[in-house]
Amino acid sequence: MTDPKRRRLLKAGGALLAAGSLPLSLVELAFGKDRREHFSFAYLSDSHITHVRGREFVRNWDRGLIRAVAESNLLDPRPDFIFYGGDIAQLGKPEEIDHGLEILSALRGEVHHVMGEHDYYLDLGEHWRKRLGPDHYSFDHKGVHFVVLNSILTFDDWTYHRWSSAAERMHQMARLDNPQGSPFMVGESQRAWLKKDLDTVSHDTPVVVFSHSPLQKIYKGWNFWTDDAEQVQALLQPFDKVTVLYGHVHQIQYNQIGNISFHAAMATAWPWPYPSSYRQQAAYLPKLTVNMNRADPFFERDATGWQFIDLDSGKVDVHYLLPGNRNRVVAWDGKAGHPVDTRYQAEADRIPPQTHY
Amino acid sequence: MGNRNRTNRFTGLMIMACAGLAAPALADEFTQEDLQRWQQEYRTVVDRGEKLFHGGLPSRNTVSCDQCHPNAANTHPETYPKFQQQLGRVAALRDMINWCIRNPLESEPLAADDPRMNALEAYITQERRGVALAPGKH
Amino acid sequence: MNGRFCTAGLLAVFTAAASAAPLGLPPVPVPADNPQSPAKIRLGERLFNDARFSADGKVSCATCHVPAKAFTDDLPVSKGFRGLTGTRNAPTVINAAYMKTLFWDGREPDLEGQSKQPPVNPVEGGLPDHAPLLEVIRKDPGYVKDFRTVFSVEPEDIDMDQVAKAIASFERTLVSGDSPFDRYYFGGDSGALNAAQQRGLRVFTGKGRCVSCHRIEQTQALFTDNRFHNIGVGFRKIRGREQETARQFLQAKRAGAKVDVAVLTREKVSELGRLAVSGNLTRVGAFKTPTLRNVARTAPYMHDGSLATLEEVVDFYNNGGRVRESDPLSPFLSGGIRPLGLDAQEKRDLVAFMKALTSPGLDRLATRGGRNHD
Repeated sequence: MTDPKRRRLLKAGGALLAAGSLPLSLVELAFGKDRREHFSFAYLSDSHITHVRGREFVRNWDRGLIRAVAESNLLDPRPDFIFYGGDIAQLGKPEEIDHGLEILSALRGEVHHVMGEHDYYLDLGEHWRKRLGPDHYSFDHKGVHFVVLNSILTFDDWTYHRWSSAAERMHQMARLDNPQGSPFMVGESQRAWLKKDLDTVSHDTPVVVFSHSPLQKIYKGWNFWTDDAEQVQALLQPFDKVTVLYGHVHQIQYNQIGNISFHAAMATAWPWPYPSSYRQQAAYLPKLTVNMNRADPFFERDATGWQFIDLDSGKVDVHYLLPGNRNRVVAWDGKAGHPVDTRYQAEADRIPPQTHY
Repeated sequence: MGNRNRTNRFTGLMIMACAGLAAPALADEFTQEDLQRWQQEYRTVVDRGEKLFHGGLPSRNTVSCDQCHPNAANTHPETYPKFQQQLGRVAALRDMINWCIRNPLESEPLAADDPRMNALEAYITQERRGVALAPGKH
Repeated sequence: MNGRFCTAGLLAVFTAAASAAPLGLPPVPVPADNPQSPAKIRLGERLFNDARFSADGKVSCATCHVPAKAFTDDLPVSKGFRGLTGTRNAPTVINAAYMKTLFWDGREPDLEGQSKQPPVNPVEGGLPDHAPLLEVIRKDPGYVKDFRTVFSVEPEDIDMDQVAKAIASFERTLVSGDSPFDRYYFGGDSGALNAAQQRGLRVFTGKGRCVSCHRIEQTQALFTDNRFHNIGVGFRKIRGREQETARQFLQAKRAGAKVDVAVLTREKVSELGRLAVSGNLTRVGAFKTPTLRNVARTAPYMHDGSLATLEEVVDFYNNGGRVRESDPLSPFLSGGIRPLGLDAQEKRDLVAFMKALTSPGLDRLATRGGRNHD
């Protein structure tokens, strides 16, 4: 007979996973320890819907988004809303954005969107804005102030004067490791808007900021980077509880800089290696992050997924749902003062990590 | 390019590699100019590989290698040959290149002696230069 | 592999010479707390075939795992007491010893856990609990003698753990490799596969991508990855009802509903697959990869027995996880399931290859099982 420990593990595996994949805690926490209400939202990102020809789109990326939508529709209790973290499209084509939004229309609930560079650099966001509205805005929900920024702008010279066509510009920006690329930024006018927006918010209000690129500097070579990150962080500095949620990097990342917690979203399309795996350049992955593994690239959903997030007292717990891998939870640890992986944070608790890349 | 030519070049590269280790005492069979030219020849193939890797392969669905492997990261050429469960056997790097061409790219695999395969291997390995060989490693 | 497993020379039971695993298979893992012994195996075999362990006295393990039918029952879904049917196809017991989880949804971690469930399932054995089964054993002088020999227990101390251990020990003897494929691939006999079968092997490991889940390695081939995948089977039964089915079932489960009863008695709940066991939302409709050894002898196929022939199975995969190309695809489909583009010849070759996975010892296993049938 299987030894009792393994047996317990296998049996309990169900229960543990259930706790990791269903917000059972909501049932208890709905009555809240403090005046703020506890709630959750789902968070999907980076689907890179790619038009091939005629009515054909890349099947792999379509299936990733279709599956994330179907799975997130199973959340019970229902999340209050859904966030989409940007890069619906691969090359910014209207037919790609439309096809992605058609798949997303199956989501049960209201969806908020962030602009990604793949949505922007063909027509400078025209079709995206036509379908989805402004690219930066804020709103309040159950005592939390949410801010959405367009963080994938860059120097005007690169955007307006470098390329012979809009399609060429889009192709250049779509290549992640492009030596002719240009760093992302929020830009002066949005920062001014953000400052004004935050002026009316009390400092004990939890603030959650959504951007596509990380509002921290990780690796410039792949644009895991926002050039004016420090200036944006400075505007968020006065608040007690701040969380930045971003897409773009297609991998689990989390970090703490001062009062600001950072969490990245998985892509529904494909995973990216960690920048530290590129041996010809130095990179700055947050030390805190326990890297995700690549289970098996045969399975198209390997190291892809989606997440739901619950807000307990204004701090964020991110539940990663990973079809090809074991689910993970990165939760706020009040004692440590930063987010931790609830299962793998301690060195001794880690499964044999992937080391080669 | 004929097969004989390629063989000669390959031999040349091998000699260069050995000579590199034994530098600075060069034999009189080849010159500094030879070394530079061979390096340039090599770079030409690496550059061709880089282009193929970034959308230059015929891909039925437009997907390209660099979409998942920026700077050929996570291709870990130093770990081949190794057991690969998708294939059920110990595989070489080129087997995995062809696996990717057939699956994510939904296209026809390359012949083992296709110059494009050669170029892809050159680019991938060049981006991983300096890492110790670790065959079989997962 | 867990450190507490050892590998006993249990195959000696079969043939005088056999002390190693058959060609193509690793040694059978045997848990340290349930070592093999000839007396325990004989007891397990008798228990396996005893139909008194059911509400109508007609259903034994061997009812659905018929020795003469490669330890399956030829039925899409199995028939329990009073002819009641469940939702799942009976998998073969042959080589189940290598499985890392048992049942299509992996709800039990080992053979010992597996055999306790069917006698008390309302559409299988139909017993209210294990008490009547233990009562039969305790009143049977033959069993009393055997349990005393094997477990050193008096009748009143006979329990289900011992019953399950004996059955598991018997099942661990039902292993078979040495198929034409094994002789070709591992045994160096290039004539063991004909030309079509050899081409089929290339499709299996190449364009067909079968090997990604039905694993072949360099020295052994279990033809399973012991993982769970949604390949599209059964989707039509739950289509559009996934949300309410999952919500209702998971709520019922939290309130104490039994998984094995729910999945075998409710068709839609059955189609939740691994989700019903783990609660993990990424496992909707995911079922365990079965071994393909002896697959030509274990029709019909899939967790619900919905495909009658190997040709239908190949078409199902070739259509990207659906019976017809015009059928809708499950949104929960596993990554890796996509149209394969196999032509008629490649499909024929693939079927020919699967027919080369039949072990020569099957009939001997069956005779053995049949001889002791009660």
